[in-house]
Amino acid sequence: MIGPSIVIKGTVSGDEDLVIQGKVEGTIDLHDNEVSVGQTGKVSADISAKVVKVDGEVSGDITGTEKVVISKSGNVHGNIVAPRVTLEDGAIFKGSIDMDPGETASSKVSLAAQKPANTPSSSDSAPGFDLKSG
Amino acid sequence: MASTQPSKLLSTLFEHIDEEARITVLHIGPALPETVEFFSRYRCKLHFVDLFGELPILAEEDVPLSLEKQFAELLQFPPGTYFDITLFWDLFNYMSSDAITAFLMTLRPYLRPGSLAHGFAVHNLRNPPSERIYGISDLDALNIRPRSASLPGYAPHTQSRLKTLLSCFQFDRSVLLSDSRLELLLSAKL
Repeated sequence: MIGPSIVIKGTVSGDEDLVIQGKVEGTIDLHDNEVSVGQTGKVSADISAKVVKVDGEVSGDITGTEKVVISKSGNVHGNIVAPRVTLEDGAIFKGSIDMDPGETASSKVSLAAQKPANTPSSSDSAPGFDLKSG
Repeated sequence: MASTQPSKLLSTLFEHIDEEARITVLHIGPALPETVEFFSRYRCKLHFVDLFGELPILAEEDVPLSLEKQFAELLQFPPGTYFDITLFWDLFNYMSSDAITAFLMTLRPYLRPGSLAHGFAVHNLRNPPSERIYGISDLDALNIRPRSASLPGYAPHTQSRLKTLLSCFQFDRSVLLSDSRLELLLSAKL
């Protein structure tokens, strides 16, 4: 847990779940774990995790290989990529949501990497975004 | 308090989309839980742009092309983005003719033949503002929430005027609603 008075600038990575009540600027990569941004948490970072739950503020892109939940007190400004996204009543969201209920985000990444660059079938073929998201 | 409004045209947007197809959607308005939940059944990318929160969108004096510049800042999408579906709701009832023209000029590069759009207009210019926030609850129903504050700049256009202004769309169908508003189904005319 990152407590309310803690400020971290840089990359946060590891192999366990994380609760953020303080401030994080940079990158958060907990690919196989859960990241929870608590009500007092303020994150200016791209987040990559299995499950991401936002009760506080996030400014940055979120990739959840399983799901992303923005709760009623959550405020997210950025792009979300996840198979499932839940927005609770009262949540504030500004950006885009890339959902694919049929496959996980991690498998989408591998598919995107195999796809030829000039394949015209995808309607959102922003290279940087698709590589991150699939 | 949210309520439900039936829609006869909304389902048409999804008629030709199979479950394997990947769609890109522009939703003009705030992201609502029911809309995200509705689209979670599709392989999709949803872009939420709440232009209602930017109203009134007015030209600045002595700034050439100021409307175009404002929309260029508000509507920023990744290269290669093409919208299959655009949900305008009642946006055009709150925009001047010049603003609508500038908005469409900005949007046009992100449309392609076959792009569909849905929105509301008025049957009678004396119709009062509806002051609603729209979400999709199902293929044939919208969730309606009242706005907490009135939007500025309500100045609706007649359907014939809208047809002229929305030059990159053709009006496929329109349905007169019980409150004397019009539900519109549009397709890109590029």
